[in-house]
Amino acid sequence: MTWLRTPPHAKPDAHAAEAADQDAAARDGLGATPEGHRDATADNRDATADDRDAAADDRDAAADDRDAAADDRDAAAPATTPAGLSLGVAGWLRWFWRQLTSMRTALVLLFLLAAGSVPGSLLPQVGTNPASVSQYYSSHPVLARILGDLGLFNVFGAPWFAAIYILLFTSLVGCVLPRTLRLVGSARQPPPRAPGNLSRLPFAVSYATPVAPEAALEAAAEALSAKRFRLRTGPGWVAAEKGYLREVGNLLFHMALLGLLVSIGLGGLFGYKADRLLVTGTSFGNTLTALDEFHPGRLVGPGDLQPFTVTLDHFSASYVTSGTLLGQPAAFNAAIRYSAAPGDRMHSYDLSVNHPLIVDGVRVFLIGHGYAPEFRITDGTGHVVFDGAVPFIPVETSGLVSEGAIKVPDANPEGLGFVGVFLPSAIDVGGRLESYFPAPNNPMVSLVSYAGNLGMNSGPSQSVYSLDTSGLHELAVSPRPLAIGQSIKLPNGLGTLTYTGYQQWVSLAITYDPGQTAALWSGIAVLAGLLLSFMVRRRRVFVRASTDEAGNTTVELGGLTRSDAAGGFEEEFAGLAAEISGLHGAHIDAITSTDNDAEQTGRPAPEPHGPPDSDQSVPPDPEQSAGE
Amino acid sequence: MLRLPHFASPVVGAVAPMPRRAAVGALVAAAVVLGAAACGAGATAQDTAVGNGSSFVTGSYGTTVFSSGSRPKAPAVAGTTLTGSKFELSADRGSVVVMNFWGSWCTPCREEAPALGSLARYFAGTDVRFIGVDIRDDPASAEGFMRTFRIGYPSLNDPNDLIALDFSGTVPPAGIPTTLVIDRGGRIAARIVGQASYSGLKALIKQVQAERG
Repeated sequence: MTWLRTPPHAKPDAHAAEAADQDAAARDGLGATPEGHRDATADNRDATADDRDAAADDRDAAADDRDAAADDRDAAAPATTPAGLSLGVAGWLRWFWRQLTSMRTALVLLFLLAAGSVPGSLLPQVGTNPASVSQYYSSHPVLARILGDLGLFNVFGAPWFAAIYILLFTSLVGCVLPRTLRLVGSARQPPPRAPGNLSRLPFAVSYATPVAPEAALEAAAEALSAKRFRLRTGPGWVAAEKGYLREVGNLLFHMALLGLLVSIGLGGLFGYKADRLLVTGTSFGNTLTALDEFHPGRLVGPGDLQPFTVTLDHFSASYVTSGTLLGQPAAFNAAIRYSAAPGDRMHSYDLSVNHPLIVDGVRVFLIGHGYAPEFRITDGTGHVVFDGAVPFIPVETSGLVSEGAIKVPDANPEGLGFVGVFLPSAIDVGGRLESYFPAPNNPMVSLVSYAGNLGMNSGPSQSVYSLDTSGLHELAVSPRPLAIGQSIKLPNGLGTLTYTGYQQWVSLAITYDPGQTAALWSGIAVLAGLLLSFMVRRRRVFVRASTDEAGNTTVELGGLTRSDAAGGFEEEFAGLAAEISGLHGAHIDAITSTDNDAEQTGRPAPEPHGPPDSDQSVPPDPEQSAGE
Repeated sequence: MLRLPHFASPVVGAVAPMPRRAAVGALVAAAVVLGAAACGAGATAQDTAVGNGSSFVTGSYGTTVFSSGSRPKAPAVAGTTLTGSKFELSADRGSVVVMNFWGSWCTPCREEAPALGSLARYFAGTDVRFIGVDIRDDPASAEGFMRTFRIGYPSLNDPNDLIALDFSGTVPPAGIPTTLVIDRGGRIAARIVGQASYSGLKALIKQVQAERG
């Protein structure tokens, strides 16, 4: 009795393909899905069947008729790929669908999606920065027109971008759904019949026993059953298979992937994103008129916003005060109060970076801050025409120099406008005013004053952060810059401006994504399924018992698993063989077998056919093995 | 298209050092998130800078008229006017109420203000009441606005958006300006989002006024 090692030439041709498969996977850095490996295997094994569905059909065929000779399958596969113009309309549609849902196409689309987003970050986008787009149009009129026609100023709303992601989504769903169904079938399959010649299996042993064949098989079946193998019996043989958890993992992976897609889609339909700038000491309610930016999902209307309120009581920022990181922000904290609906109880909350407020399923993130100098302006007729804080926008980070505009269109006798900078830590550097630190150590403003028509009574809407000076004339005023409490008296009796103090503001990003939790759990399930399918191997053990003319019973044992993951199977098989032979009153002498795969990988298999039930009906198996 | 006219995002260009949320994991997920996000952005893409040559989204303008059977009930609105007196919407039950959400900083509000001022004078002495709701404004600027456009009717100061929130269950103001016409039974008969015209608003008011209370 000796362990038989399958000679290299007798290995199923899938082995060679697997080696290539692994190479391909390593090259591409893929392996996100077990099916990806499968695809590569198919591509390598059968040059004509380079679309995935051919491989799938391939596998279907294996599943449907596992007893059929394996060699028929490869012959059948090419018939499912386009064979030229002879295809009818239905045939072409079928072909197109297969192309679309192939993993290769999905990867190409994924790459296109990534490439397509590049202009979105290189060029200003109307969704986020309309002012810069306008500026681009005025500085590069011809180029901007071409880019605009291509949708490059609104990449994420452009039809070509939509086409990519709709195709990608269709491709993924069209790929995953049929696979899921197939996997359900695969997980429920009984083991295949025992092949005729067990000695050709990667692991095989045979021995003589005095026990009758029927009793020998029964004992073997019991032993295997006790080890939780799934059994199938036939005349003179027992087939056993284990490791179906792998299919469960595969199934989990695919279903979770679908769940991920659906939950992300839900977020896109019913979610929204909004921004709001909030000055210390003020409140806002989550309603459309109170938001600075609003990006609703397709099915979100103004009435769908959760009516919470947020009040900013205090904002503090600390900065690094020494070393090379001088002036870099160290911590931000916004002390807020919120209520889920107006009139509800107010709760206190400390909002900080990456520590969002979650209210009514909506997340409110602290994403920015700045200063809002306060001014009181009296016009020429003695009316106070402005009294409040004006948010200025930081234009640099080391000293938080901020720019802004004050507009007083209703001042008399003339409208007044001011543009200027706020300097948190003002310092005179050779006659030039700069800010040496982001904290308000010496908060000053420097303003340019204008009078005239602000152009706000008609025409296009204006930014609150800039002034349209086309209808204005500059006023000669002093002093510039102003310290808190200082005033400038405008010439010609136009009025007075007083810099009364400053507030800090925060910018809040409000996001509502109803699919977020589902997406998280789906993501976890994707990983769990993937791990399961990596760690568990399907392995088969076959037993045949027969009697010769002399009445001696010969028992043959054969074992099969994915060769590249054979690590632990060798011992498992040896253990089983010892146990079964022990039950039969025989014992196996010397176990000398070692895994012979290493020397075979990459070598083409000269013999086209493996055992009747070759690896092909064993689901894809990435190279990882837990050595179970 | 639901973006507000006048406010640029202060977030853009502001404060680089604050990191945004942690990145999403899987590549596939990220890609589809991107796609989903693009879904959202697409809705706001039409009337932007590229289209109208200005820097800002002009808002979606439109009038919604509710038939008498399907009018949403106006919420209880109460507040303090810019001049310090109390206002309660329910006290005007039995009158047609024209409620205008505005801000002195908003160009379309300033553009429609003369029409609203004239209409208030036109309907003076009838059972049509005008009330303004001043949004995101400082009272001094708001008073200047009312002097400039000779607005005779009162306006509620709503610095905390509470009045706008009151409407969130029914017909929320979907931009600034928004004008609501509320019938004698306290139900919303019409909503104009965007700049109201003299003739258009007048016709709406007359139509509601002609109904039997």
